[in-house]
Amino acid sequence: MTLLSEKPAAVRPAPTVDPVLSLRDVRIGNPHTGAEIVHGVSLELTPGKVVGVVGESGSGKTLTCRAALGILPANLAVTSGSIEIAGADISTLGSREWTALRGSTISAVFQDPASYLNPSIQVGPQVAEVLRVKKGLKRREARHRAIELLQAVHLRQPELVYSQYPHELSGGMLQRILIAAACAADPQVLIADEATTALDVTVQAEILDLLADLRDSTGLALVVVSHDLAVVAQLCEEVLVMRDGAVVEHGPTSQVLYRPEHDYTRLLIDEHEQYGLHRFVKGKNVPEEQAS
Amino acid sequence: MVRRVLSLPSGRIAVGLLVLIALLAALGPVLAPQDPLATSDNTLASVSWSHWLGTDYLGRDTFSRLLDGSRVSVLASLEVALVALGVGAVPGILSVYLGRVFEWGTLRLADTLVALPFLLFAVAVTALLGNGLTQAMLVTGVLVSPLFYRVSRAATLAVARSQYVEAAIISGASVGWVVRRHVWAKVLPPIAIALAQTIGVGFIIVSSLTFLGIGVQPPAPTWGGLLASDLGYLDYQPWAPLAPAILIMLTVWASNLLADTIRDVSGEAGRAFVTHRRDVRSAHDASDQNATAHSGGAR
Amino acid sequence: MTAPVLQVSDLDVHYGLRRRRRQALQGVSLDVSAGETVGLIGETGSGKSTLARAVLGLVPSSGGRIVIDGEDVSGYRERQWRRLRRRGVVQYVFQDPLRSLDPDLTIEDSLVEPLLIQGVSRREAVARARTFLDRVHLSADLLPKVPGEISGGQRQRVAVARALVTEPRLIVLDEPVSALDSANRVQVLEILKELRGSGVALVFISHDLGSVAGIADRIAVLYQGELVEVGAAAAVINEPDHPYTRLLVSSAPTLRAASATRAEREELRALLSV
Repeated sequence: MTLLSEKPAAVRPAPTVDPVLSLRDVRIGNPHTGAEIVHGVSLELTPGKVVGVVGESGSGKTLTCRAALGILPANLAVTSGSIEIAGADISTLGSREWTALRGSTISAVFQDPASYLNPSIQVGPQVAEVLRVKKGLKRREARHRAIELLQAVHLRQPELVYSQYPHELSGGMLQRILIAAACAADPQVLIADEATTALDVTVQAEILDLLADLRDSTGLALVVVSHDLAVVAQLCEEVLVMRDGAVVEHGPTSQVLYRPEHDYTRLLIDEHEQYGLHRFVKGKNVPEEQAS
Repeated sequence: MVRRVLSLPSGRIAVGLLVLIALLAALGPVLAPQDPLATSDNTLASVSWSHWLGTDYLGRDTFSRLLDGSRVSVLASLEVALVALGVGAVPGILSVYLGRVFEWGTLRLADTLVALPFLLFAVAVTALLGNGLTQAMLVTGVLVSPLFYRVSRAATLAVARSQYVEAAIISGASVGWVVRRHVWAKVLPPIAIALAQTIGVGFIIVSSLTFLGIGVQPPAPTWGGLLASDLGYLDYQPWAPLAPAILIMLTVWASNLLADTIRDVSGEAGRAFVTHRRDVRSAHDASDQNATAHSGGAR
Repeated sequence: MTAPVLQVSDLDVHYGLRRRRRQALQGVSLDVSAGETVGLIGETGSGKSTLARAVLGLVPSSGGRIVIDGEDVSGYRERQWRRLRRRGVVQYVFQDPLRSLDPDLTIEDSLVEPLLIQGVSRREAVARARTFLDRVHLSADLLPKVPGEISGGQRQRVAVARALVTEPRLIVLDEPVSALDSANRVQVLEILKELRGSGVALVFISHDLGSVAGIADRIAVLYQGELVEVGAAAAVINEPDHPYTRLLVSSAPTLRAASATRAEREELRALLSV
């Protein structure tokens, strides 16, 4: 595994690669009442690329992710625009095709890891289950591969963790296990929706490092969704800032951070500059500031 | 709370029915057109102007007996509910605050009471203390009380661990203050639900006991007793059991409906539910265009 | 600097009984002066909330001394605590504004509660509540509403106002802005900054160094029940001494990427896991 993850811009892929996920002017609303909640989101994700989506709760960022995963709430639908996953328009997919796609092409991790694991089953078999269903592995092979995956997400003593129950593990470890399960079927896109929000800061940094590793080692494309601009700035080359269902700012991270156009983006940056660690550590990162 | 219950049709129906039955209980003996105990030669008569529901096997007017019997039945079921409330709810709330020993003791006592079959127990107690409905209902009330104990304890526990109670304690609030100010309002709805249910259950118990002839001396009419004696003469009056049976059913149903309605409108979700219904209704009243705008705004 | 409002010296707190007894805090010493803002940082389970609850008398200490406003409260019983709390010297603001206000009480009822407990008349209490609602930049229109009818940011400001009505010397804030969105976070932080001028001491608990850096005069770092570092905010952030503090600083997300390299972080993690 490479440790060259500090500057994501260094590994930007060539622009000619086909996108693995592309959203074109996606609008989401209730088709019966005509009420629109998300007013047009466009983004394009090529292998190894990391796009960040920043916004408050209610800004439509989670709905956008759910639309890409085909799991919108019952009364909502994509009303216009298109979503393509690895070249396939999702509006043409039946439930069987969706099942084939989820996990093996597009996958996701969410905020509260404990609620996505069955508390009465050991965590290892829950990861192995994905392998058996998605990759058709035998029980023994699945176990072997699951332990490898647990190791790949930097869990110490993966054999021990394999046979532990969710309540015996910390939030950070559970999130690693979910990332392992999400990556078990070698997806091309991983959506991390507030995946680090509930974790301690030091653990959050570990998870972000882990995601960067996965990106570097497997060419995984990432959508990192957070309410915190700083978290997104750590990892992403491109940032979308959403507010009230609309994209108010979209561009390369450095541009959004240093030449924000929208008041809301400026507010997000001001908050960090006034109240964050920022004003103390600014002096340490002179080279990066010059880079802008 | 009362206003919220009455804002729903189901609440109005339940309350209306219960008020009607309460009126029957209060005024029934006065309203009864004939002496419910007076026998006559005209036995097992069918429906007529002088006997609206006919007469029974001793020639007594069934309608008068129904009206007269309502008081005993209603009072007895109320007695069950109120005894259960007093014996159950207060220790339930206090069990959270009065320390380990009290908590442990009352919990075990509640467990014990749950294990006793109340109908049998009531029969046994009347055998012991003499054949009186009051004694039987008192015992039944005590045996039903664990329901109130558990309901009020659970609600109190949820509130006692909440942050706003902690905030009050940090401001120096005493246990009494916390109970009056915060616990009471949260415990009341579940208790009201349990109370309405218990009135229904109590009614069934009273009717069952009087059906069995326990608790009331023979000539005095009760709904359960009427049902029992009517069943003996099905050959002659196959329709006779209907009147007391329907009355018992209606009362129990209204109690349960009231319980359901209180559950629907209580708490945060209930407030939202009632407001939402009001919005929807006002939207319907307004013109079509307004209606769509309104529901759009509520989202 | 005046005499400390809060003096904690060599505090031990244990949880559980006999064999399941666990130490939550070990030898913690911390002074907070009037008008000072102290950021108390630690991860989940580090004991930061335990320290706050011990200071408020909600968990008993098993050793050491706590002095609040010149009064040694170490051996206090429930009755003595209640008397102290009624004076309104110490107040607390919870993390989750959704649950820290009684959903059935109006904002007015919640605000006047601490005053009514003190025995202040309803009329005067309402007048004071209005003043402090103004202090947190909320309009008096909110008074007759219930918490469900106002936004999360407003609720948290009401919670701050409730902590202020008794004019306390010390307010403990447990992650007061973690559950809020940016705009509200800035607003609440602004209000807290304004408070410092009035001489009230603030203890600001957080798991994130970044969220208190802009407001704290001093920062105290708790790690596994021990206070591993205390010092002026700038000093702790710029020259962290303990490996955990260094990891904290290097993990805190900032707009200009993390302040340490990945390798440095790995090294610190390895150091701590030994």
